[in-house]
Amino acid sequence: MAAPCSRMANRPLWQFITNVRRTGLKHTGVRQISLSSACRAATQTRSKTEGVASPWKLYGAVCLQRLPVISQERNPIEDQFAELMHQMELERSLLSDHEQRLLEDSERMTRKQADNYDSDEEEADYGGQETITAQDQEDSWEQKLKHFQPALRDRGRSGTPLGSVERCLGDSLVLLVQQTVGKETIWLLPQAQWEAGETLRQTAERGLNSLPEADFKATFLGNTPCGVYRYKFPKEVQTECCVGAKVFFFKAFLSAGSASQKEPFLWVKKTELQGYLKPPYLEKVDRFILNL
Amino acid sequence: MNPVIRKASFALHSRVLDQAGLLFRASVSVQHPIQGSLAFSNERQYRTMPTHGIGKYKHLLPKEAPKKKKERQQMKQIKTATDAEYGTLNVKVSGYDMILVEHYSQYIHNLCNRLGVKVAESYALPTKSTEVMVMPEQGTKMYVDAILKTHERIVQLSQLNATLCPTFMEVLLKNQPEGIQLSVKLHTEADYQARFKARPELEGLMAQMT
Repeated sequence: MAAPCSRMANRPLWQFITNVRRTGLKHTGVRQISLSSACRAATQTRSKTEGVASPWKLYGAVCLQRLPVISQERNPIEDQFAELMHQMELERSLLSDHEQRLLEDSERMTRKQADNYDSDEEEADYGGQETITAQDQEDSWEQKLKHFQPALRDRGRSGTPLGSVERCLGDSLVLLVQQTVGKETIWLLPQAQWEAGETLRQTAERGLNSLPEADFKATFLGNTPCGVYRYKFPKEVQTECCVGAKVFFFKAFLSAGSASQKEPFLWVKKTELQGYLKPPYLEKVDRFILNL
Repeated sequence: MNPVIRKASFALHSRVLDQAGLLFRASVSVQHPIQGSLAFSNERQYRTMPTHGIGKYKHLLPKEAPKKKKERQQMKQIKTATDAEYGTLNVKVSGYDMILVEHYSQYIHNLCNRLGVKVAESYALPTKSTEVMVMPEQGTKMYVDAILKTHERIVQLSQLNATLCPTFMEVLLKNQPEGIQLSVKLHTEADYQARFKARPELEGLMAQMT
């Protein structure tokens, strides 16, 4: 076995809450890790050399996701409930320091305007007038709020192209590229073929870095692949040594990056994947992309 | 003679007591059940009586080791070949809004419980107040504009499986609320010592000693 992964038991990760408890994820793809300083630093790996070559070609692919930038909009029900909770909390709450100060100031004002106002007595009690009353502070704060302009949710452009990273700011997007596999050019997650002497995670990183005219800085979350896609070549291409290919997917998050608009990149939501990926491929990929 | 008489009298006495006791219990049980039982347990027998110390049982229990009050720190796990596990990790949640910070840290704790990740500790660091001072265009004196309070909560995980880690981190990142910073670091001795207050008198005495 040339690579350290044989057959990975693929648990559907959308059921991970129940499954992970009962049956541990079976993986033979993790090499011996010795953690140095930070847990996210590069790990030292030991390469295992095997004599027998497998008939499967190995690829490492990366599922690069852009996390949502802003919060999602609420449903009407969520809106109503949030309002109700806010109302309830307001009615049950006690007065804060600022509100108490407001009340005291207003009482003092009414007492000042009364006929039997004794200024000496008042000032002896309160130790001199405060120059800024609470009401003045509130007014100045309200003025500042009026000057504040919140940014638009859509960043202005209506119908941003699919290749732009700033597409749907409230959802998480996955990167798709167009690559030639065999004879056809299809949309798939960026992948590269595994070479001897490197870990599959390094293969995935190489696949991401080798994308032409794109500069994505990604943070890989771990050394374990999150999914596997296995397919056999059509009969005419099959030889003795390669029957098919196995693609191992790794998850990563986008930290910084840019791409030119000419290159065929797509940033799509999970619901839009169906229009671009092939059905058997989509079935495996769908399992590990969380729709949160 | 005397011991015999005493024994005989005692035997009689005990029998009388038994009968009286039975009668007493039977008659009193309905009306004052509490008083009936108390009357018999509050009587302390004199040292010469054979029933002295009849209710003692502590000497029959196994000896307990005395409790140690020393604090011990968690040690890092040694990784094995197939199941790689991280050592003690500190997941720090910090932000200005205390409600969001607390709710998010509770969410992380509950998620760890559900996924089977052992939570070693879950504590809060002291709140830090930051004063925002604004300098107006005309004058030179800065005045206080606002006071921002940064709240921090730490959830300490002890055995995070390396296969579970990517999924766990992804769920955490995707559920992160707005305005909250999340950081995952290894737990160190310095972090542990930073939680304690400085003792100036002790330090003064130590400095005097050396």
